[in-house]
Amino acid sequence: MSLQDKLDELIRRNKEAELGGGQGRIDSLHQKGKLTARERVEALMDKDSFQEIDKFVVHRCYNFGAEKTKIPGDGVVTGYGTINGRMTFVFSHDSTVFGGSLSGPFGEKVCKVMDLAVNNKCPIVGLNDSGGARIQEGVISLGSYGEIFKRNVMTSGVIPQISVIMGACAGGAVYSPAITDFIIMVDKTSHMFITGPQVIKAVTSEDVSAEKLGGAMTHNAISGVAHFSAKSDLDALKLTKELLAYFPQNSDEKPAVIPCSDPADRIDMSLRDVVPDNAKKPYNIKDIIRKIVDHGHFFEVQKNYARNMVVGFARMGGMSVGFVCNQPNFLAGCIDINASLKCSRFVRSCDCFNIPLITLVDVPGFLPGVSQEHGGIIKHGSKIIYAYVDASVPKITVITRKAYGGAYDVMSSKHHGGDINYAYPTAEVAVMGPEGAVNIIMRKELNAVPEEEREALREKLIADYRATFANPYTAAELGYIDEVISPEFTRPKIIAALRMLKNKVVITHHRKHGNIPL
Amino acid sequence: MSEVLAPMSGKVIDLKVKVGDSVKEDDEVIIIEAMKMEMPLAAPQDGTVKEVNVKVGDSIDPDAVLMIIE
Repeated sequence: MSLQDKLDELIRRNKEAELGGGQGRIDSLHQKGKLTARERVEALMDKDSFQEIDKFVVHRCYNFGAEKTKIPGDGVVTGYGTINGRMTFVFSHDSTVFGGSLSGPFGEKVCKVMDLAVNNKCPIVGLNDSGGARIQEGVISLGSYGEIFKRNVMTSGVIPQISVIMGACAGGAVYSPAITDFIIMVDKTSHMFITGPQVIKAVTSEDVSAEKLGGAMTHNAISGVAHFSAKSDLDALKLTKELLAYFPQNSDEKPAVIPCSDPADRIDMSLRDVVPDNAKKPYNIKDIIRKIVDHGHFFEVQKNYARNMVVGFARMGGMSVGFVCNQPNFLAGCIDINASLKCSRFVRSCDCFNIPLITLVDVPGFLPGVSQEHGGIIKHGSKIIYAYVDASVPKITVITRKAYGGAYDVMSSKHHGGDINYAYPTAEVAVMGPEGAVNIIMRKELNAVPEEEREALREKLIADYRATFANPYTAAELGYIDEVISPEFTRPKIIAALRMLKNKVVITHHRKHGNIPL
Repeated sequence: MSEVLAPMSGKVIDLKVKVGDSVKEDDEVIIIEAMKMEMPLAAPQDGTVKEVNVKVGDSIDPDAVLMIIE
């Protein structure tokens, strides 16, 4: 074989690998508006930065005639490159090759790139489009899944792990994403379930479409499994890039501070008009967020799930921050089970990667009700306490209006390690709302007066209670609130606190690990 | 056709529309009070109000169908 023949052989092999399951299958993907595994990687990474590894790996299976078809790459594209100039590792399932199903060598490729990512302390992005285990491989594919899950766990909190779901992912293919930090699903063309519609039909006779069972909106709005819904493959990859920009490369680093043309000392008089005078009137907490963050840009996470709690990323003075906020516009901003899960997971995600937390509080309490109590709100609500107390990142709190009862404590209060706790003059920090409190502590006095005078007395007592407790000053006198601020100064005050807390350290007791109430 | 459901237990304090009215998606159609807070509920789609199952002052249970928009 001449040198030229050898070079030609390499070109031929590369071409063969790049064609995956063949032009026919590639065309069919394109018809569905989807990109191929390689096109996705190209779109995710900076131009020409992607370096592929294990391109010629093939399966070693001799069961059920599998040996007759071998496709180089074996259904997954793996490698590394840069995203916005920062090193990132990637694996991308190729659904044109055996449906993207996982074989032993497929799993080995994914594990190799995961090991490279964690050993070099750079984020990893998984582009998932896999029907699950390759059945011909038998228990080998289960072993491979186990190896991947183990790495997801060992890597958790060391480097950011992002999962993008870009096709039907079933069985083992969904547990790996579930352990990662964030899941982005493409609307209409991606699904996630442990068992698909056919199996459900066969076993329980339930008739359900794939979309309803495990589509993007199901997991974004109902189950809370996913964090983002994207309009297309390209949109999902764009979201991934933006999400990664808020994170450092690993948990030893801090997020990058980017140059910021929005002045840190910008005051906004319109903030005075956001919280309504009437404590019964709701408002949109996102109106406050957008007025105080850099350029009004708020990158919301899980926006369709537990809408009574708003979480997401933004920048303040160029610094990456995570917002956790009660939303008075939905369920009056009450904390329920789903809001607890959403909040505590987000707090943990920020804390692992040194992203400071800004908490905006307007909460009337935990949602009362049998379904909440039976669903375990005690257990789930306590996760918020655990997550906040355990978080060692800078924690800045602004109470905009209500901070009642236990909900006051859990929302990054001073007692739970809030570093700087602000309150607006409209804040009401109290054990409960005036009406409820008067009905309980003044019951005897109310019952002692004739019925026709009772309402007038109640009104007077409520006004007294409001004057005594429904304000920020009692808490400020105790030092539970560091400063009562006029709303227009929210941005400069938060940025000043963030700068002060830049080198914050927390000394903790040695332990194996805490026991978060899961 | 879509339903306006009660998000939690509470009391109806205002009805912004009646049967036969046409509404746009996100229009406020009903206001309930719960947890000492007013909660506006929006039309889930463009359409016409087909049914109103509550009146002002009614107590409502979670997931009760308050209104049907067609």
